Amino acid sequence: MSVKEKLKQVLIEDLNLEDVEPNEIEDDMALFGDGLGLDSLDAVELVVIVQKHFGVEIKDMEEGRPAFQTISTLAQYIEERMA
Amino acid sequence: MKMAIQGIGLTAGFGSGIEALRSALQSGRAASVTGNGEQSAFRADVSGLAEFIPKRALRRIDHFSKMTLLGACLALKDADLLDADRSRTGVVIASGYGALKTTFNFLDSYLDFGYSCSSPTHFSNSVHNAAAAHVSIQLKTTAPSLTVTQFEMSVPSALLSAQQWLAEGRVDQVLFGAVDESCDVLTYCREQFFGSGEQGPLQPLTFAEQSAVAGEGAVFFVLNRETDTAPYGFIDGVRMGNYLVRPTILPEGDQLIVGADGHKECGRWYQQLLKGRKVAAYSPLYGSFPAAVGFDLAVAAVSQCDGKLYASPAANGSPAALPTQKLGGEQLSCLKLGPGGDYGLIRLST
Amino acid sequence: MAGLTPIAITGLGVLSGAGMNLPESMETLFRNERHPHPPFRFSTDHPVSYPVLELREEFKLPLDAGETVYARTSQLALVAALEALTDAGWNVESLRDKRVGVCVGTTVGCALNCDEFYRAYKDEEQPDMKIIERFLRSNPAAVIARQLKLDGPTQTVVNACSSGTDAIGIGASWLRAGVCDIVIAGGADELARVTYAGFSSLMITDPDPCKPFDAERKGLNLGEGAGLLVLESAKVREEKKTRGTLLGYGSASDAHHLTAPHPDGTGLKQALAVAFVAADVTPEQITFINAHGTGTPDNDRVESRVMNDVLPGVPFVSTKGYTGHTLGAAGGIEAAFTVACLQRQEIPASIGFSTADPELLTTPVQENCSVFGDVALSESLAFGGNNAVLIFGRGES
Repeated sequence: MSVKEKLKQVLIEDLNLEDVEPNEIEDDMALFGDGLGLDSLDAVELVVIVQKHFGVEIKDMEEGRPAFQTISTLAQYIEERMA
Repeated sequence: MKMAIQGIGLTAGFGSGIEALRSALQSGRAASVTGNGEQSAFRADVSGLAEFIPKRALRRIDHFSKMTLLGACLALKDADLLDADRSRTGVVIASGYGALKTTFNFLDSYLDFGYSCSSPTHFSNSVHNAAAAHVSIQLKTTAPSLTVTQFEMSVPSALLSAQQWLAEGRVDQVLFGAVDESCDVLTYCREQFFGSGEQGPLQPLTFAEQSAVAGEGAVFFVLNRETDTAPYGFIDGVRMGNYLVRPTILPEGDQLIVGADGHKECGRWYQQLLKGRKVAAYSPLYGSFPAAVGFDLAVAAVSQCDGKLYASPAANGSPAALPTQKLGGEQLSCLKLGPGGDYGLIRLST
Repeated sequence: MAGLTPIAITGLGVLSGAGMNLPESMETLFRNERHPHPPFRFSTDHPVSYPVLELREEFKLPLDAGETVYARTSQLALVAALEALTDAGWNVESLRDKRVGVCVGTTVGCALNCDEFYRAYKDEEQPDMKIIERFLRSNPAAVIARQLKLDGPTQTVVNACSSGTDAIGIGASWLRAGVCDIVIAGGADELARVTYAGFSSLMITDPDPCKPFDAERKGLNLGEGAGLLVLESAKVREEKKTRGTLLGYGSASDAHHLTAPHPDGTGLKQALAVAFVAADVTPEQITFINAHGTGTPDNDRVESRVMNDVLPGVPFVSTKGYTGHTLGAAGGIEAAFTVACLQRQEIPASIGFSTADPELLTTPVQENCSVFGDVALSESLAFGGNNAVLIFGRGES
């Protein structure tokens, strides 16, 4: 499974997005605000998700912000840091 | 200042809504005990929440807060206030233990995966006022909010403050709730303390025997300052103190509903203070948990509404139990005792 | 709502990372000292160690608690309660014929987050049930009432970070209603691994000493302690001098988000408005503000905005640089500081602040300053959108 696919799946599971199907999350859809509708508490949970499922550490929100735009940007961030 | 009870909403093992409580009282049957902790027959069903809150809004809301929200929504519905403006509605919640499952879920997150994986969502939902926050956010109550954790005394204590908020004009009405949840860790602790097998039946008026069965639930009241209309009557006042420090006299002519719930240790206190006086107890309907005093209060309110004191379930002709009777001029009081002489007395009137 | 009867404050007690009692804490504040360090009492495997403000000394329970062991939060509450009662001139025996209420805010003191017990439970080892027994006898308000043999209402307020402030406001309303003659009110909280892990997970802890209202602020430092006030009805106080007066209390909810404050501070504004009405004072009368000032980017932004709108130009200080954020205790400790600062007509520098944030229109006081006036205010913002404000009057000296 690609990082993008796995990301979509764990996002739905760990953020409890029961009403969303993985294929409804587009790669370039905004994760926060109008797109998927995530908020500031999801953002810090996302840090844990990335650590737990991909072993990639995000030290603070300043570092995380550019990666947290879309599935694509986050997947790229993770891929660059996965051993 | 009296508080008028305008509506009641609840969920517990016997069902959801005030009619479920009424029919449980009428049938007089205790819930059968088929399992413990999270599998218990005393587990509250929260599926009714779908009627009030969109599913997406519930994604981060745990079982404890769902019970809370369901109780609150049903109380507003009962009072016909679901569509009313709630900018002057205060939220006051009493809970003996808070959201236990989420508390442990948070510990799981770091015990299982290391501290860097501590879940902020579980942490924020484990904070004791999270349920009150969810009520405030979902129901748009912008007035003051208060959560009280005083173990057995949580309900009388929180009610005392709700009364002052109404009296001082800080709020025009209060959504007053009592909530506790059961969980497997609690079951384990109870087994260690009381021996294995909470098989029931719960017999609260057999004071000398251990018969407690852990339960859970949420019950809410819409309270305001109305002096004329009050479908369930009024709460006259709350008294809290310690009868070992200073002896207290229980209101002579009142019919007493006691919060005895099958704990042998507490049974001793009731025996000591009641001195053979006949009382009513309803914990076999909802189980044993600190916030169950809220259900005692709901039973008192329904009894006032129906003009009738219901038989204590599972009393088996106990000489300590008041018989079913029409309520005449006598008032109802709910009495809860805690360790070391602590008492809370809530007095009602029609 | 109309103006409410002011309530006399006759005693103060504080235990914090700044000092083992109120005078010692005040001295630390005015010496502009702080002692944050990595936690001594527990450890975690976080890659970064976040500084905290723990009590600097061990303390001994001043009462004979016998074999009974209470959780640390309740011990802190008991020590501060006794300091406050002594300060008010009450010995414990003299309280026997009074109706004395206890209203204490906390977070850790009521949470069953005994992780050692739970770890053993999960591993199917035999967890030590004494941990649960201790939890069950450690409700902070109940411990004070039981240990001092009091007859009156008890209430442990769990409104997260505004608990202490709310507890004081509620205690005052009990006195006004004649429910009791004396109320011991405030907050207490111990530093715990669970809250340390929780706040770290929210990414609002500063890896360095915290910097409230500074451009470079990164978050809070956790602390521990207790702050309790003795509030008295006119009947029992008689001619006794006061430390100060509780003029007003206001609280309100954002109804916005579980962890983030409303960006416009609507709840805080409402709480301030209510407190002003209750106290029957105007914003122009406020001499200084003890701000919540946790040092998190969100809190300080919203709080600064509201202070600039409602209380423009009023000097303010965050004392959390000295004590850390003591959660449920914060409102109690800061209430005691506010009353004590009003008495000495001086406020300490807001430690940790050095660079103004261009986004904020206000800056805290940067050195100890004299103040001239009779009314001051303390505010608290909490998880779940709770906001609470206390307004104090200057005592007789």
